Amino acid sequence: MMNDTLVRIDNLSKSFREGDTERVIFRELRVIIRQGEFVVLLGRSGSGKSTLLNLLSGIDQPTSGAVIIGQQNLTGLSEHQRTLFRREHIGFIFQFYNLIPTLTVMENLLLPLELIGTAGAEAERQARDMLGEVELADRADSYPDRLSGGEQQRVAIARALIHRPQLLLADEPTGNLDAETGQQVLALLSRLARENRMTTLMVTHSLDVARLADRILTIRDGQLREDDVPKDRL
Amino acid sequence: MRLSSALQLGLLGLLVLVSGGCDDRSAPTGAANQQRLTVAESLGGAPEPGFARATKAREFIFPRDHGPHPEFKTEWWYYTGNLQNAEGRRFGYQLTFFRNALHPETVPRSSAWASNQIYLAHFALSDPAGEKFHHFERFSRAALGLAGATAAPFRVWLEDWSAAGSRGAILPMQLNAAAGEVAIDLSLESSKPFVLQGDQGLSQKSREAGNASYYYSLTRLPTAGEIRIGEASFQVTGTSWLDREWSTSALGENQVGWDWFSLQLDDGRELMYYQLRLADGGPDPLSKGVLVAADGGSLKLTPDDIRIDILDHWNSPHSAGRYPARWRLQVPDQQLDLEIVPLLADQELQTAVRYWEGAVALQGVSGESKVQGYGYVELTGYAN
Amino acid sequence: MILWRAGFRYLLRHPLQILFAVVGVALGVAVVVAIDLANSSADRAFRLSAEAVSGRASHQIIASSAGLPETVYQQLRLAGKWRASAPIVEGFAAVPGQPGLTLRILGIDPFAEGPFRTYSPGIGRGSDFSRLLSEPGAGLMTAATARKLGVKNGAELPLLIAGEERSVTFIGLLEPRDQVGSRALENLLLVDIATAQELLGKLGRLSRIDLILPEGDAGRRSLQQLQQFLPAGAEVITADRRGQSMAQMTRAFQLNLTALSLLALMVGMFLIYNTMTFSVLQRRPLLGALRTLGVTRGEIFRLVLVEAVLIGLLGTLLGLMLGILLANGLLALVTRTINDLYFVLNVRSLALTPLSLGKGVLLGLGATVAAAFVPALEAARTAPRSVLSRSTIEGRQRRLLPWAVGSGCGLMLISCAGLMIPSKSIPASFILMFMLITGYALVTPGTAVWLLRRLQPLLKRSFGMLGKMAARNLVAGLSRTGVATAALVIAVAATIGVGLMIGSFRVTVESWLHSYLQADIYVTTESDGFGPGRTPLKKELLERFQEIPGIERITRARHLKLESQDGISELFVAEIPPASFAGYWFAEGDRQQIYQAFSSAEAVIVSEPYAYRRNLQRGDLLTLRTDQGEKQFRIAGVFTDYGSDQGRITMRRQLYEKYWQEPQTDALGIYLSDSAASADLVQQLSRAAADIQQLVIYSNQDLREASLATFDRTFAVTSVLRLLAVLVAFVGILNALMAMQIERSRELAILRAGGLTPQQLWTLVTGETGLIGLLAGLLAVPLGIAQALVLILVINRRSFGWSMQIAIDPLILLQAVLLAFGAALLAGLYPAWRMARTQPALALREE
Repeated sequence: MMNDTLVRIDNLSKSFREGDTERVIFRELRVIIRQGEFVVLLGRSGSGKSTLLNLLSGIDQPTSGAVIIGQQNLTGLSEHQRTLFRREHIGFIFQFYNLIPTLTVMENLLLPLELIGTAGAEAERQARDMLGEVELADRADSYPDRLSGGEQQRVAIARALIHRPQLLLADEPTGNLDAETGQQVLALLSRLARENRMTTLMVTHSLDVARLADRILTIRDGQLREDDVPKDRL
Repeated sequence: MRLSSALQLGLLGLLVLVSGGCDDRSAPTGAANQQRLTVAESLGGAPEPGFARATKAREFIFPRDHGPHPEFKTEWWYYTGNLQNAEGRRFGYQLTFFRNALHPETVPRSSAWASNQIYLAHFALSDPAGEKFHHFERFSRAALGLAGATAAPFRVWLEDWSAAGSRGAILPMQLNAAAGEVAIDLSLESSKPFVLQGDQGLSQKSREAGNASYYYSLTRLPTAGEIRIGEASFQVTGTSWLDREWSTSALGENQVGWDWFSLQLDDGRELMYYQLRLADGGPDPLSKGVLVAADGGSLKLTPDDIRIDILDHWNSPHSAGRYPARWRLQVPDQQLDLEIVPLLADQELQTAVRYWEGAVALQGVSGESKVQGYGYVELTGYAN
Repeated sequence: MILWRAGFRYLLRHPLQILFAVVGVALGVAVVVAIDLANSSADRAFRLSAEAVSGRASHQIIASSAGLPETVYQQLRLAGKWRASAPIVEGFAAVPGQPGLTLRILGIDPFAEGPFRTYSPGIGRGSDFSRLLSEPGAGLMTAATARKLGVKNGAELPLLIAGEERSVTFIGLLEPRDQVGSRALENLLLVDIATAQELLGKLGRLSRIDLILPEGDAGRRSLQQLQQFLPAGAEVITADRRGQSMAQMTRAFQLNLTALSLLALMVGMFLIYNTMTFSVLQRRPLLGALRTLGVTRGEIFRLVLVEAVLIGLLGTLLGLMLGILLANGLLALVTRTINDLYFVLNVRSLALTPLSLGKGVLLGLGATVAAAFVPALEAARTAPRSVLSRSTIEGRQRRLLPWAVGSGCGLMLISCAGLMIPSKSIPASFILMFMLITGYALVTPGTAVWLLRRLQPLLKRSFGMLGKMAARNLVAGLSRTGVATAALVIAVAATIGVGLMIGSFRVTVESWLHSYLQADIYVTTESDGFGPGRTPLKKELLERFQEIPGIERITRARHLKLESQDGISELFVAEIPPASFAGYWFAEGDRQQIYQAFSSAEAVIVSEPYAYRRNLQRGDLLTLRTDQGEKQFRIAGVFTDYGSDQGRITMRRQLYEKYWQEPQTDALGIYLSDSAASADLVQQLSRAAADIQQLVIYSNQDLREASLATFDRTFAVTSVLRLLAVLVAFVGILNALMAMQIERSRELAILRAGGLTPQQLWTLVTGETGLIGLLAGLLAVPLGIAQALVLILVINRRSFGWSMQIAIDPLILLQAVLLAFGAALLAGLYPAWRMARTQPALALREE
């Protein structure tokens, strides 16, 4: 159902140890994200946005509190289990694309499918379809270093979505692109996300980007605050 | 005459080594599948220059002739006997010593191992009651006192098998042999003078001059002693027979073997007859034998005098041989009619040359009276 | 699989690195395989020929060197109980015109052979078995042997036996039943036992009697019954024991070779480690990305490990081929040494058994996996992308450093403690030495860092900013260069260690020879090797020699072999004048007292190896089997003797004549009134002996030189191995530096962009490599000396029982440091050239 709770963050706290001091990133965050929502996370550099993404995707463990995605409480799981969860249910998009340089575009898309157990002709079909969606069907056999930044990010989006994850996490996806390309990529991202009824959490420091969102969350001083979405949408 | 596995030495040597165990065997070993010799090969062949040959009659001088005649290529001392213990359990034994010369000349050598004579011995014990035929074969060189023969004192031996005279004479004689689980320790006495076979001891085997041997026998030797089989020991008495023969290449080209009978009748007579067989299967007219009277007188037998019918056959499971296994032997002029039956069917020696040598029982008639006795039959040239 | 492709394509794009790793493994495996093949081929040849000769015998009756009286066999056979018994007369012959070739003459009794030897003198074309028995001098050999000797069927083969001319007529072929038999029967002449006695001059005697006794109680009873036939000097030993004790002789020698070869492999392992670590470092971003996508740690671990295994497999296969090639050359060296030192052994070809090759494969792959384990773990611990930052990589390395140093020190302490525990185990000492080396290797990077930091001010003063940068760069780049440096240290230390050991040994032996060899001229008979059991000197010779003027004194000696269930002992019977005795080295005891006991009591002196192997000391009683039964002798002293690693017992002649029946002489020590005339006297002696017997006559000088030549030949093998170890390390350095070039391209570009000229950059990089080399050389010295001490004090002692002086030649140390410096500089030339050409523009490009 569209409005079921997908992500629940309960009293989440995270702090890092640096030498003798303890740096607190955030303390007792509480938030609920429902299925299908497009949420944007704002905050200045170093405010803990990336940390939150890491916690949501199971890459990192909180100091205390719980992260529950779907029915699964990530907090109690071992690293191995979290990794397996991640491969099935999370899609990631990065600022610097992070495509596998030694794989072709097509192979980059086939990899997540292979990880969830889909291979062969079926996988190829899905990959080609997805490449079509991002309009890069003709670049299937090129290596990432031959693509422009925008093209690489489009491939990255395709990769993030191809295994139909529950949750899509994007970390400053337009941070490395010029304004125009960034707009195009963003438009593609939000379209695909909504078409596939993805639950998306996007981190950015640009208010403009925030306009796409259903909700805006801001981290400041270790606390989470919900703001209103600016009225004028694109 | 006793012919058996006296062998031409080259072939002997092959078997010695190829058979991988020229030693005690009471059952066919892996050597069984090695080359076997034919008797024709062993005793025939081209005459080797340098060796003495039996061409004319000679005077037999004893005790010298009891000993070895190294100038001849082959020679043997052939003992057989039928014995029984107090309970009537019967045994047959055979102890044969063969001498073979490698070379007519002796080269003087410094090693005590050097010799141009080698000895071969067969020891067999037939145990009809136990249904077992034990047989063993041994080889040795005549050097270092390991084997040899002497005339005075009389002794012929191969390692721990021996036949030895005592008190400076050939008789009484002690026979000793042990192998595997059997052993014999027998005393042989004299009772009759020796018999010269053939033409005063020259026994012509085939038409060519020189294909003959010097041959004499002691046909009745009362015997007493002990036979051991495993843990059991038997005190036995009976009668033995000694054949002595020496020659150089005795067989002719188309002779394949012989059937030889030595029979001791209970009326004090002995009969010896050998039938040489030709390649075409028929008997050689030079076959011959002798009938020895109770007083020692001998009567020559030729193929015309004797008639032998084969009544039965036995197929050897060890070889391809199909041996005659029961006979009817008749000497019409003597009104002798005997049936000869082996005491045990399988008395085939699985030795370098395979042959059948077995204790037999005989019964029949001589004129009006019944007659019975025991003997030995030798069949060669069947297994190839 | 896409995942695998992601990893492998990286490797394929950097083939040079992979090549280096493959080569490193290949070299390491090649050395190990070569030594193993040479050793096992020699072993096999020995075992085959021993088995061929002893056949299926379970026991053997043996006596003194002179052999067993033949009547023993006669009595055994006449008793009838030992049907499986065979007499043997054997000896060796040389072939005139074919030096170095030794034929073994085996005299058998064909009638007794059946149960024993499986090769049959079959009837080939033209052979006649009766001729073997009836013709004196008739013999059989395999077709291969006949071909080698160039002798046709029916022809006469001239021989030299104990210096006398003899001949054998080749009358037929030995046709063994299988390939194995054929090799084992190489150089064997089968003759009748009578012929053997006549040829070898052993009339009336047998070398031994082979027996097959039943197992268990029946066998024991049979043995007991046998005793009554044995004369006082004879004994029954188990057949395999004899073969074992001969094989035992070479065990220590072969073990030493194996250990050295493993060292080379160890160095090869560093190459794998380096390559994999570097590839992991390079692929961090990729690995991080994979982790983010949900690739588990286990999968990454497997990925890296499989890559390493593939490299290792390639290297191993290459190494196997190289190893086989190398083995052919080494085989000659190894068997030459065995022939020189131990016994006659003919090995013509390598035995390429699946076992040897399998071992090589396992070692190669095993070493690869072991070396790749840590980098694979490292890779698996890659955190998913977003947590990653550069500083944490190096930071982790530096955090590891104290661990490395700590465990390294721990290992070194344990190994030192372990080596001090008294024991006889040679494998244990090698393991401990490897632990010492590993411990030191772990400590090397840390020590290097420490040294570099201390050197920085000095370098700045001498070479300015560049100098200081060089030092700091090395420290910063420790993760890259630390391991390569350690590899070089190990290789160079091995060179130092073995070099010092050999040097010390040689110095000791030389000095010992000088003291021990007192006579002016030494005379002995021609025989196979310098061992015991030589042909006696003819009496007429002695008489003739006495007449030659200028000779002050002639001492007679005899070398004998005493065989028993314990093994083979050498008994040296001699007349030793007091002046010569003064040249003997005794570790303890008063020389006068020892000489007193030796020359008048029922006492002997034994050499160090003898005492060591049997745990004997001065004052102990030694039981020897004499011709009059077993007798006990007191050990008056233990002397140093490098002539044999099996050890010997030395006894005065009168004592020997009291208990043994064969008072012959096979060696003479001649003392001249004027030592200077020895060359002249040698001539005179040769002339005097010319028509009586063939002799070997040495002047004191000649003998010393010959002994040292044998010594040098023995260690020729080790030089080859050491060189190879250094080669592997060289490849390692080259590999590391090439990797550095790639790693630092951006950093170097910045330097160039900042204004450094190519020459300056070249100087900087070369300075770094030179520094690495120098450091490695300096750090190798303590380890090298430690290794030398372990080799001298522990391993040599346990292997051979010898004590040795320790001579630390500074020249060897200097050479080693220069070697390390030179190797590093050489390795650095090409990478430095490439680095110098870095374009500044590189600095401006995006990541």
